[in-house]
Amino acid sequence: MKVVLVMTLSLALLLSASCAKKPQTADTGADAKVTTLGSIEVTAQLEEIPGEVRNDPLYDYAHVMKYKVLQVQRGKVDKDTIYVGHYNPAKPRDAIADARVPQIGGNVKQFRVGDVHRMALEVPIDDYYMGGIINKYFGQVNDPIYWAIWTNKVSK
Amino acid sequence: MKKRVPWLWVLAIGLLLTCAVLAAQDEKVAQLAKEVGGKGWIVYASRGESGTWDLFLMRPDGSARRNITNTPDYEEGGPRFSPDGKKLLYRRFAKGTTINHDLWGFQGNLMIAEPNGAKPVQIGGDREFPWASWSPDGKQIACLAQKEGIQVVDLETKKVIRQLPRKGIYQQLYWSPDGQWFCGVANARMMWTIVRMNAQTGELNVVHEFQSCTPDWFPDSKHIIYPSRPAGQPGNNGYGFTQLWYCDGEGKDAKMIYGEDDYHIYGGALSPDGKYVLFTRCPQDGGGSEKSGAPICVMRMADAPAIAGASKDLRKIHPEAKEATVLQLVEGWEPYWTYAEIGAQK
Repeated sequence: MKVVLVMTLSLALLLSASCAKKPQTADTGADAKVTTLGSIEVTAQLEEIPGEVRNDPLYDYAHVMKYKVLQVQRGKVDKDTIYVGHYNPAKPRDAIADARVPQIGGNVKQFRVGDVHRMALEVPIDDYYMGGIINKYFGQVNDPIYWAIWTNKVSK
Repeated sequence: MKKRVPWLWVLAIGLLLTCAVLAAQDEKVAQLAKEVGGKGWIVYASRGESGTWDLFLMRPDGSARRNITNTPDYEEGGPRFSPDGKKLLYRRFAKGTTINHDLWGFQGNLMIAEPNGAKPVQIGGDREFPWASWSPDGKQIACLAQKEGIQVVDLETKKVIRQLPRKGIYQQLYWSPDGQWFCGVANARMMWTIVRMNAQTGELNVVHEFQSCTPDWFPDSKHIIYPSRPAGQPGNNGYGFTQLWYCDGEGKDAKMIYGEDDYHIYGGALSPDGKYVLFTRCPQDGGGSEKSGAPICVMRMADAPAIAGASKDLRKIHPEAKEATVLQLVEGWEPYWTYAEIGAQK
C-alpha cells in the first residue's frame, strides 16, 4: 500500500513539475515565427505607450512605443532604447493580419507598460509599412522606427 | 375661438413662407443644373445592374448617364481623365473585392481606356503602378510605392524615368496640372497630414495637419482641395463630421468649401475651370466605397463657404457661411470632371 502511495505521490509530483515547466517553455516567447521572420529579433521591455491606443474600425494605423532592449537574438541593434511601431495595437496580435499587412502576428493580447515582448522586427518602418503612424516622438527622437512583425509575450 | 384666428394666420403665413423659400431654393438648384448641364462630362464609379462597381459617365446635371464599363466579372473604381480628356485611367479589381477607401490605389490593376471606356488596356500586373496619377501631358504617370517611393513612369515604355523618396507620404498621390508638385497624405508631425512635394527636388511642406485626406489640385496648381474633420466638433459623439476645405500649397488661407452636420464630405474635385466643385455626401465616414458610395453633388465655388441643412454645430463655427445651393446627383464614388467632349457611345 505504501508503495502505491509513494508511486502516486511521485507521479503527482512529476506531473505538477512538468505542468509548471510548460509556462517556462513559453516564457522566452520563442516560436517558429518570431525566431525566423524579419531581420532583427529582440527581447525588450515596453517602457512607454505615448498617447491613446485607438480602437478605430475604419482606419488602420501603427502606434510607436518605447522599449528597453534586454537581449538581441538576431540582427544588429545599436541602442538600449528602441522605438517600435505596432500595427492596430488595440487588437490582439493573433487577429491583426489583414489586406494591408498580411504577414504580422504574435500572441500578445494587449499592450501594457512593463510587459516584456519578444519581437521579430524590421527597420525602418517606412520600408515595410505604408499607412498612418501615430508617433508622439516625432521631432524629439531621430532614431529609426522599427516595425513589429511578430510580437510574443515573455513572462517574468 | 376668436383667440385662435391670429395663430392660424401665423401658421398659414409660415407655411407660405416656407413653401416660397423651398421653391426659391429649387429654382436656384434648377439654375445651377442648367448652368452646368453642357459643361463636359463627369466620370464616377457606381454599382451597375449586376451589383459590381462599374464606371459611368453623365453630364454634370445628371443627364445622359451611361455605364461605360459594364463588367459583371470585375469591379472598377478611381477613374480620372487625362488632363486633355483623351484618356481615362482607373483601377480594376477582382469581382467581389471590397474597395477599401484608403487602400484602393494599391488594389487591383491599373487600366487605361478611351474616355468613353472603349479599348481598355491593363497596365502591368496585380497591384502594380499603385496610386497612378497623370502627368500634365498624359504621357507619364506618377506612382506611390512602399520601398521605391514616388516613381515617374513613362507610359509607352513602362520604364521608371525617375524616383523620389516618398518622405512619409502613404496614400492618394496626385500630380499638379503644371507638373511642379505632388500632393498626398503623409505621416509628418502626425498622421493624416496633407503635404505638398516639389516634383523635382522632393522637398516637402505641410499643407494641413489633422484628420485630412484625399487631396487634389485646383486647376491653378496653387491650391489644394481636401476633406478634413477638424477637432473639437461636438456632433457624432465628439467624432465630428468631415467637411470639404481648400487652402494654398503652402497651407495658408484654409477655408471651408462645404459642410453639413450628419454628413461626411469626400470626393472633392474641381471642374476644369475651377468654377464648380464635385463632392460626395455620406452619412458614414470613409466615403462609402465599401458599400455603394454616396450621392454625388455639384456646387459653385463662388457659393463657398456653404452649409446645408440645420447644421447647428457647423453654423456656430462658420457663421459667415451661405445657404448651400447644391445639385445632388446619383450615388457614386470618386467623381472626376472633364470639359472635353467625349464622343460617341461605346
